[in-house]
Amino acid sequence: MSIDADTIRHLSEVSVSVELQTEDMTLNIGPQHPSTHGVLRLVARVDGERAFDVQPVIGYMHRGYEKLAEVRTYPQITTIVNRIDWVAGYANEIPFITAAEKIMELEVPPRAQYIRLILTEMARICSHLVFMASYPLELGAASPLFFALRERERVLDLLEGVTGGRFHPNFNRIGGVKPAYGSGSMTRKWVQDLPAGFYRDTRAAMDRVLEVCDELDNLVAGNEIILARTKGVGVIPVDVAASYGLSGPNLRASGVPFDLRKMEHYLPYDELDWNVVTGTNGDCYDRWWCRLQEIRESAKMIQQAIDQVPEGPIQAKVPKVIKVPKGETYVRAENPKGEMGYYLVTDGGNGPYRVKIRSASFSNLSILPWALEGALIPDIIAIMGSLDFVLGDVDR
Amino acid sequence: MTSNQSDVTSEQAETTTVHPLQEFADSVAAAVGGEAEITFDTVKVHVPAERWVEALTTARDDLGFGYFSFLSAIEWTNDPAVGYPLTDEVEERIEVICTVGDVFEGRRVTFSTDLPVDSPTIASLVDVYAGANWHEREAHEMFGIHFEGHPNLIHLYLPEGFTGNPLRKSFPLLSREVKPWPGDVDVEAMPTEGGDAAADEPSTENPEA
Repeated sequence: MSIDADTIRHLSEVSVSVELQTEDMTLNIGPQHPSTHGVLRLVARVDGERAFDVQPVIGYMHRGYEKLAEVRTYPQITTIVNRIDWVAGYANEIPFITAAEKIMELEVPPRAQYIRLILTEMARICSHLVFMASYPLELGAASPLFFALRERERVLDLLEGVTGGRFHPNFNRIGGVKPAYGSGSMTRKWVQDLPAGFYRDTRAAMDRVLEVCDELDNLVAGNEIILARTKGVGVIPVDVAASYGLSGPNLRASGVPFDLRKMEHYLPYDELDWNVVTGTNGDCYDRWWCRLQEIRESAKMIQQAIDQVPEGPIQAKVPKVIKVPKGETYVRAENPKGEMGYYLVTDGGNGPYRVKIRSASFSNLSILPWALEGALIPDIIAIMGSLDFVLGDVDR
Repeated sequence: MTSNQSDVTSEQAETTTVHPLQEFADSVAAAVGGEAEITFDTVKVHVPAERWVEALTTARDDLGFGYFSFLSAIEWTNDPAVGYPLTDEVEERIEVICTVGDVFEGRRVTFSTDLPVDSPTIASLVDVYAGANWHEREAHEMFGIHFEGHPNLIHLYLPEGFTGNPLRKSFPLLSREVKPWPGDVDVEAMPTEGGDAAADEPSTENPEA
């Protein structure tokens, strides 16, 4: 069979047009994917190696805490808020308790405030160490995980020694903190609030945390592959970050010293000597670097705080049944992930009328469609991981 | 003597105590044309619903509040199906609250506006603050507020096809319907063998005697 010139031209046109026509593919990542820190699903339109119109699908872990809080009493709600960001469960209690105390106009004893500060910073170290472990792993480096999680375990042991819980301490009481795990009832005259040897063990653990920061610094910041994967990738300018409500290290990496520990004056942070860490470029590397520096700052803060813990009571005088008078307020605090706040509406009852939970990861994650527009597929994981979210904090 | 003294101090307190945030609150209220109220260090500025977007645009452009904290709503009702009732009679409404601030000094203001309980509708803030997108989707599904001009007003947390607005006070908490809480039914009786009625009674005999 002979092929004439027309057929040849026709066939070549067909093949050319087939080559030029690139078809978009829809890529589905998750909901069960190791880099999604929980159950997050991403639906992306993929053109070659680049992703467009990335839409996060969330809600797989929605537990309705705002509704549940309306049918619980105040002491019961601290158990709920522990479970919002479970990587730093203790830190979630602080803004809620502070909001209730503010409306009750309670003066929290200084010792209780110091204990709260120490434990909050421990929770921050734990949360950031999880990031130090998981982020390089998502980029393909497995060893930092072992360094980081080993030290995190030491800090968790200290937290457990004081509160009795590794992840869900439920240690705050309105007006103070609980006596230490196993030390007897609050009505006893002499209660032990910190376990024996706590100061000594904490000092040793913080020294080890500072050492592991140096190790991680060498291991990760000196790694060319990680630098190539993170430097200049996922740059978020300040104004975009602010309009999406990014907070915490994600916002500070873009160069703003937005740290609520300095701005809201809710725990005795002013009495300690520490610095707000800010980045310069707002890329994935800076977000990693900021968190590493924050671990160092928190460790130094704890070392100072345990030297300064005042003696005295750990609980303000409160009635047996907590009733918060009529009022409404918004209290926010610097959580490891960013701004966590509670808009609390009370009306004199045993429980609140309305609690709006403002969680950091929810706003941090909402920037993903913007940050991933046109990104390379491997960069999806790099950018997503650098935002350090926890799905419990997103879905509440 | 003592009573006189306390009278004087309380009088002084009434006349001289100005909240440190009062000046700031007044300046924000004047700029956006709203009413300021300070409740426990939270500056709340109430604006009419039709000037919602305008007020937030002023806050962003003229007052430097580029940071979007959150947007949500409170349903004020005298007859809640769930939760603790209010002690005083209130005007039934849905109050939309939106907190914005600045990232350099940490100032913040909560803007609020009132919407009717039936078919609440308000203009969307997505063009002012990009972060409002998800917060408005959440308020839409949870309270049934319609945000006009929102590009993608679909369910965020709830599955498609879910009916009802769970954070409305009229929406029952089904698990509590089945089993009241908190209450004396908290502790369940141990199951008994054979269904003997007498076995349900707690035994007073010492089993080791």
